[in-house]
Amino acid sequence: MFLTMFLLAVVYLAFLAVLLALHTSQVVIILFIGGFMFLQYFYSDKMILASMGGRIVSEDEAPELHQMISRLCAIANLPMPKIAIVKTSMPNAFATGRNQKHAVVAVTTGIMQQLNRSELEAVLAHELTHVKNKDMMVMTIATFLASVAQLFVQWLPFMGGGSSRDRDSGNFIILFLVSLAVWIVSFFLIRALSRYREFAADRGSAIITGQPSNLASALMKISGFRVPTQDLRKVEGPVSALFIVPAISGSSIMNLFSTHPTTEARIAALQKIEQELEAA
Amino acid sequence: MGFLDSILGKTKLPEAKTDKLFAISTAAVTLEANLGLKPDGAAAVCIKPMESSKYDAARAEIEDLLKLGIKETGTQYSIQKDEYNYIWVVLKDPDFDDLVTNIQMVCQILMEQGFGTQLLAAVYRFRGEAAVYWIYNFKLGSYYPFVPRGTQRDTSQEFRLRSLMEKELPVEKDETKWYPMWGMPL
Repeated sequence: MFLTMFLLAVVYLAFLAVLLALHTSQVVIILFIGGFMFLQYFYSDKMILASMGGRIVSEDEAPELHQMISRLCAIANLPMPKIAIVKTSMPNAFATGRNQKHAVVAVTTGIMQQLNRSELEAVLAHELTHVKNKDMMVMTIATFLASVAQLFVQWLPFMGGGSSRDRDSGNFIILFLVSLAVWIVSFFLIRALSRYREFAADRGSAIITGQPSNLASALMKISGFRVPTQDLRKVEGPVSALFIVPAISGSSIMNLFSTHPTTEARIAALQKIEQELEAA
Repeated sequence: MGFLDSILGKTKLPEAKTDKLFAISTAAVTLEANLGLKPDGAAAVCIKPMESSKYDAARAEIEDLLKLGIKETGTQYSIQKDEYNYIWVVLKDPDFDDLVTNIQMVCQILMEQGFGTQLLAAVYRFRGEAAVYWIYNFKLGSYYPFVPRGTQRDTSQEFRLRSLMEKELPVEKDETKWYPMWGMPL
């Protein structure tokens, strides 16, 4: 994770150096985007909740959920977050909010139906670890200049540089190419960073609950891959040969593009943690 | 199955893989010491049904061979048919080593008699807070855990068992192949 963060910082510093060296008027744009992203970060809890259709629930409305989370917070030494419920059958959960005091943990009605108590607890512990690790802040900072670069790439051809001076000196083309490079490189680095934060949250959940297997079981259920419930003797009919075909799993190239690690990788990591916990 | 056979559609069932069946013998020590799971004195081999004409002959043959082979250890046995018409050879013996040896022998006999492709699974029952089964699938050549809780299965507990036992027991890596067996006669 450290290497990824370091590389991202290097890319960004280089980008800033180029921008300063070119003395372009685009610095204004950076300030603008910076201000916009700060607002987004500051009001993230309300914005994300609104976009997901989540509703903050009081302790009376969801007493069991509150008890579960307050117990986990006590273990993780976190202030009690707000709790929201999203009405959808999609099994999902997320954490948002700019800091620990303004954190919101949301779950969908779907995930509450599909998981049993201990699995739900493991998922909540995963989300609380995101809060504890300040992932909202880390990812906002990490994506800031990438957003600037992306905007440059998309709008520079239409803006035609800030002034005629820029255009004549060729700064315009350099800025476009540099932005493109920053955008592409940071795209992969941010995704790598995001995957690391997910692994870290999985580990946090395993340590808070003390039972990594609960999260592994929950991940299997959410991902739609399930430990089968159909009887072996039913499956072993004349068509059993069809079952030998392995489930298609994403290639490693596709993995570079994703913000979350594959379920297989996460379960394998949890398995290691289980062994470590047992050995300790 | 060879490439040509599959192109020509000549289906052959794979022979049973029994080489890793014995691994439960040493794993049982760890299961008891680290996880508090004791062998529950029962194990079984599940055999795929065959034509009814063959069935009676096979059953008689198995029974004869069991009578001879099992006498020494005093293991109890029974042969049953389940709701799917599968045949179960159920062995009961408080001594786990005897149980493993006899299960191994039953498989050996069945394979020698040409039932190698019919062998489906061997099952060992363990006792903790709830019953825990280790199912050995002869097609996969590996074990997997099965922890039934009523009509549900306790996947958390099953994942935990895999994590802690995979070094000692050949546990099936692909959990989408962990097919349960409900209502086993043991």
